Amino acid sequence: MKKILLVDDEEGIQMLYREELEDGGYEVISAYTGEEGIQKFKEESPDLVILDIQMPGMNGIETLRQMKMENPKLPVILSSAYNEYKQDLGAWASDEYVVKSSNINDLLEAVRKHLS
Amino acid sequence: MPELRKDPVLGRWIIIARERGKRPSDFVIVDSPVAGGFCPLCPGNENTTPHEVLVYGRENNTPNSPGWKVRVVPNKYPALVIEGDLNREGEGLYDKMNGIGAHEVIVESPNHDDIFSQLPVEHMIMIFRAFKVRIKDLEHDDRFRYVLVFKNFGKAAGASLGHSHSQLVALPVLPRKIESELAGALTYYNYKERCVYCDIISQELKQDVRVVCKNEHFITITPFAPRTPFEMWILPIHHSSAYHEQNEEQLASLAEIFSESLCRLDACIPNVPYNFVLHTQPLRSQHMNHFHWHFEIVPKLTSIAGFEWGSGFYINPMPPEEAASYLRESLERLS
Repeated sequence: MKKILLVDDEEGIQMLYREELEDGGYEVISAYTGEEGIQKFKEESPDLVILDIQMPGMNGIETLRQMKMENPKLPVILSSAYNEYKQDLGAWASDEYVVKSSNINDLLEAVRKHLS
Repeated sequence: MPELRKDPVLGRWIIIARERGKRPSDFVIVDSPVAGGFCPLCPGNENTTPHEVLVYGRENNTPNSPGWKVRVVPNKYPALVIEGDLNREGEGLYDKMNGIGAHEVIVESPNHDDIFSQLPVEHMIMIFRAFKVRIKDLEHDDRFRYVLVFKNFGKAAGASLGHSHSQLVALPVLPRKIESELAGALTYYNYKERCVYCDIISQELKQDVRVVCKNEHFITITPFAPRTPFEMWILPIHHSSAYHEQNEEQLASLAEIFSESLCRLDACIPNVPYNFVLHTQPLRSQHMNHFHWHFEIVPKLTSIAGFEWGSGFYINPMPPEEAASYLRESLERLS
C-alpha cells in the first residue's frame, strides 16, 4: 500500500483528506506542523507528501525545500487555500500546487498522477 | 523644515523630511535571509522548472541541462497564463478580461550564492541581453501590450528565493504607472517640444548635485523627487525610447554603470534590499520623441503606511543631493 504523509495544521482538513485517501486505498500518516512533517518524513519514508503552506512555525514552502534537499525525487503536492503562494519561487520545488476546495477531486487526481 | 517636491513627469509629490545628520549607516535593514534548502533554480534541478525559452553559456546542445550561465524559463505557477485568447468584456460599467500574459524568470547565474551587483560585467551583459531578446520575442505576440522587467533583491523587497533572478511579465494592458509616465512625458513634450528626460539629464549634468556616476552612454542620478532614500535612475544619455533597440556596445555600457551604481549603493548600505524596474515604451510602438527608457532602482528603506497609501505621497528622510554625495564618495571611501 502506498504511503502518504499529510502535513496540515487543520484538523478538519486532516479528517477530510484522510477519509478520501484511505477510501482510495492509500495509507495516511498525519503531521500537524512543518517540523513534525520533516521528522515523520525521515522516519516513515512516505511515497508522497501533501503539504499545507500556511502553518505555525516552519511554513510549507520551507518544509518542502528541506524535504527535497533530502530526497529530490519524492513527489510533493502543495495544498493551500491561497493562490498567492504561487508567487513564491520556492514553491517550484513542488510537483503540484493544488488550491484547497470542498471538492477534493483535483487533489486526488494529482495524487494518482504521481503514484501511478 | 520639511520640503515638498514634485516629480516633473508624474506630478507626484513627495516630502523630504530631512532628518538632521542622517547617515547611510543610520538606516536599519529589516531584512531576514531567504530560507535555505532545495533550490529549483540551481544547475542539476532543471527538471523542476518549465522548459527554458532562452539560455546563454551552455556549450553542449542538450536543452534544460546544466552548463548554462543565464537561463530564462516560464514561471511554473504564473500569475497570468500564456494559453488562450483575450476575452474582453464588460459587466455594467466594469471592464474585465481573462488572465492572459507571460510570466518568465531570468535565472541570472548558475551559482546559488552569487549576488547580482557583484557579477562580472561580462556576465551582467548576458542578463541585459536576455531582457532585450525576450522583449523582442514577446513583441510578436499581439495579445501583449507591455513587458515589465523587474528584480526583487532581498526578502523585504519581495525575493522569495536566494538564488539571483529577475522576472518579466508580459501584459495585455498598459500598466497604470507606465500610462501615467507616458502621459506626463507627452504633456511636457507638447508644451516644450523636448523630451522631459533629456531635459532632466541636461539639467543634472549642469547642476552636478544629483549625478552618481556616468559613462559614455549612460548616467545614474538620484531623482529630484525620490520616493525612498538612495533611489536611483539609470538613463541613456542620448534619447532612446525603446530598451530593446540597444546594441551590444550600449548593453555593455549599461552593465558597467549598473554594476557601478549597485556597488556604490552596497558600499553605502551593505545588503540593502531593493527593487529595480525597467520602464520602456509599449510593445510595437513607433519611436517616441517624448519618452526615454530608463531603469529605476528603489531601495527598501522606508515603509508604506496609511498616509502614503491614502495620498500617493512618499516621505523620504534623505534629500537626493545628500544621497548622491554619499553614493559618489562611497567607493572612494572603501578603496
